[in-house]
Amino acid sequence: MKYARVYFDDVKVGDELPPLVKGPIKQIQLTRYAGASGDFNPIHQDDEFARAAGMGGVFAHGMLSMGFVGQAVTDWAGAGTVRKLGVRFAALVRLKDVVTCRGRVVAKSSTAGAQLVDLEVWAENQRAEKVVTGRATVALPARG
Amino acid sequence: MAIQINRGLIGKEYPPYPVTVERGKIKEFARALGDDNPHYLDDRVGAASEWGDLIAPPTFAVTLRDETADTTAFLKELGTDISRILHGEQEFEIFRPLQPGRTYLCRPRVVDIYEKTGRSGPMAFVVRQTAITDDTNEIVATMRGVTIVRL
Repeated sequence: MKYARVYFDDVKVGDELPPLVKGPIKQIQLTRYAGASGDFNPIHQDDEFARAAGMGGVFAHGMLSMGFVGQAVTDWAGAGTVRKLGVRFAALVRLKDVVTCRGRVVAKSSTAGAQLVDLEVWAENQRAEKVVTGRATVALPARG
Repeated sequence: MAIQINRGLIGKEYPPYPVTVERGKIKEFARALGDDNPHYLDDRVGAASEWGDLIAPPTFAVTLRDETADTTAFLKELGTDISRILHGEQEFEIFRPLQPGRTYLCRPRVVDIYEKTGRSGPMAFVVRQTAITDDTNEIVATMRGVTIVRL
């Protein structure tokens, strides 16, 4: 079930997040993301500009892919649970690419008032090349 | 021809700027990602939640821009332009989700600038960090971004 409650007690190191598949990426999504984020760099909109800049054509905002990764985390852990999300943009996402976001539990820790779960997160394209790699920390409720 | 990056910006703090988060902006951002989580989109779900209103997705803080600043001015000051930059890394630390109708104060600064030669040639890495506080001066989030300049 989507948005099911995940409890700290039930999470084990090694658990994998359900993969989130996004795309194929279309120009309209890059245009919408530009408007929503305020990042109007023409390199994501104007193919001629992107070619002249030596980028071989339009590519997606890194922040769009990071947003996808954030969604993979919150689809699993719940909205408002993310305490840290940090990524490196490893490769460009192009139009027509399909981006699959994944994650895996790497550590659990319990301190006063917070139960934290550390995740390794990444996104890959349809050729299984990593386009985003990173880490996330979510705060989960305890049972009972 | 290689360009020269202005490393003199290391440590520079920019004037703090306030941003009021708009309800529609949170929804627009979630929809642009294709994320249909009701905590970002459904006012009633928000009102009934532990936060008492909608919350923003984890990467929403990137939208908190200084409306009065000229975005090309920073790149010019750095010694480059928009056609040479790439987003290298991004990180958010979130103490509390951002919410609609609230005004936050953003304090950006340049943390570091360093150069490296990668597969595609010489590059400069510009590390910027922004602290985000609420109207009680409590820290709500920090964001750290690395911009790559192709030299």
